[in-house]
Amino acid sequence: MPVDIYWRIHMEGDQPSLRRRVRSRGGFAPNGTAPGIRDGRDDGYTHADYMAEVARAAEESGFVGGLLPNFPHTDDPWAAAATLARETTSYRFMVAFQPGFLHPVQAARMTATLQRATGGRIVYNVISGGGGPAQLWWGDKVDHDDRYARTSEFLDVLKGVWQGGHTHHGRFYQVEDAGLPEELAGQPFPEIFFSGSSPAAIDAAGRHADYYLSWLEPFDALAEKFDAVRAHSATPPRFAVRVDVLARESEEEAWEEIRQGWEARPRGDDSGGGDSVGVRRSRSFLTEAGDDPRSLEVAPNVWGGFSQLRDGPAFGLVGDYHQVAERLDQLLDLGVDAFILAGIPHLEEARRVGRHVLPLLKGRTS
Amino acid sequence: MMTRRGTTHPGTAPGGGGPAPSRFHIVLPTRSTAAPELPAFVTDVRPALTDPAGRTAVAADLAGLAGALVPFDPGGQESLSVAANVLRRTRHLRVVAGFHTAAATPVYAAKLSASLQRFAAGRLGWRLAVDLDPATARAQGDFLTGPERYARAGEFLTVAKGVWHGGPFEFRGDFYEVAAGGFGPPLSAPPFPEVHLSGTSPEALALSRRHADVHVFAEGDDLDSLVPELPGLRYGVHLASLDRVEEYAGRGVTEFFVQTEDVYRLGEHVKERTVAG
Repeated sequence: MPVDIYWRIHMEGDQPSLRRRVRSRGGFAPNGTAPGIRDGRDDGYTHADYMAEVARAAEESGFVGGLLPNFPHTDDPWAAAATLARETTSYRFMVAFQPGFLHPVQAARMTATLQRATGGRIVYNVISGGGGPAQLWWGDKVDHDDRYARTSEFLDVLKGVWQGGHTHHGRFYQVEDAGLPEELAGQPFPEIFFSGSSPAAIDAAGRHADYYLSWLEPFDALAEKFDAVRAHSATPPRFAVRVDVLARESEEEAWEEIRQGWEARPRGDDSGGGDSVGVRRSRSFLTEAGDDPRSLEVAPNVWGGFSQLRDGPAFGLVGDYHQVAERLDQLLDLGVDAFILAGIPHLEEARRVGRHVLPLLKGRTS
Repeated sequence: MMTRRGTTHPGTAPGGGGPAPSRFHIVLPTRSTAAPELPAFVTDVRPALTDPAGRTAVAADLAGLAGALVPFDPGGQESLSVAANVLRRTRHLRVVAGFHTAAATPVYAAKLSASLQRFAAGRLGWRLAVDLDPATARAQGDFLTGPERYARAGEFLTVAKGVWHGGPFEFRGDFYEVAAGGFGPPLSAPPFPEVHLSGTSPEALALSRRHADVHVFAEGDDLDSLVPELPGLRYGVHLASLDRVEEYAGRGVTEFFVQTEDVYRLGEHVKERTVAG
């Protein structure tokens, strides 16, 4: 079975490198020098213009599409996908959203409209919520385990509406004779990438996920997680991992990039994440690194310090092109079926990884 | 502070003297039409037509018209998604997306819209559809009926506006609750979408007084008694033809919503005549 490799899009604005933690691309840094803002003034080049470049670079470099994540401080992925739908040809838009944001009928209508615009290139990343204070920021008061019950009901209703003539009176949603009009009917239903590390999430994933999506963790922990999902699923989903990569011609060059970023990193509070089990799990693998970033290298080329150098998860791969490709091959052997890769800056690194790393992949050996 | 293209408020005539100019908004098609048959001997490589609104919007932008409305159409494409595409394809056109209140949470509707504003220099507007036919509403998953729908729409707009320009925003209402909400920069920088509302019931008028920038009438509404109840707003009307533009302009209407297959003609002939008046 072919392996789908996606490339993330930074919805939070992009950094020019990992060496300096400033998101100057996309209009997020008030004194940025990248196109978008010049001398403190808007120059008419929008974040959508830059994201379009990243999407086209990913498309040309061998990626099937991109994950468009969603957090309180980021631009919105539905808005981005709808804005860029007609500017790419094969690129799949993996839209991250929480079921609480949209009514399932509205989600069905938006999705079908974009499926029409793209010829069926919408993919879902269904998230049930980081929780805690962030959840009330969104105006969502449903608590952690109930959010997974809601996610299940949301997807049931969404699929029912997609089929048409759907009536449902449930705990979170009710609809009467809901369906898609002729203009929107008959489109392919998006693949679902399902996120969530808690038992409630894994339970819901078993019912709905085409792919169970995890952040990168130390490989043995990841294998355990996959086993838990398999054990809870009548038909196990496929597995996808979200992996940051910092790959360079030589290993020294790669670690030098990390070292410079490490020295320049802002020392701040790293305690966010609400009631996210994924965030807590990630932290549990790490100890304080102090001045040596390589003390966070939990296994060869598996580095847990990325969250210090940019927004997002802790773990990623650092090494030369061959080493990074070998680790990705190992993940395939571990049972991974799809990747969402990322690198900073997203534009240039999409081209680099597409040119130097993807061609070295050997695939599954077992 | 950032300056953005196209964010000046279009409502007031410069200098304050004389009647405000008439502005035309095309009601965009949300359903595809079949392409005409070509004779069999003509090589036909036409792609499927999936973007009826986009073509019309580009025509309106080229014709120099003020705006476009993507109506809430349960039988057609979804309006916010269509609006995003239309905004991307145009440079000056203001695009109002019609949607109903139960479609999304107010925070999410605001967040999605904040990105669209950032991508399109603040040209997005909202037309909230509150008074839906009950069967249509239930098919959209909305079982609320009667005046309560206006109470919810009021909360929806209060919350959306409340989170828009920063925080911390706290809200606890009958329908929505937000704690420590509010957008940070740069999402908080663009203007809130221009709010278009409609209806003639006391609840509808009260909602417009609190939240609307533009109140949109239907042809035949009794403007002489309704307009005095909506002081300080701009007024719009949906017209089936352009014959009555001058008449409505004389009653204070500045925003004309029309549906036409021939945007070029409207822009090049009718508009010039009407505006020259």
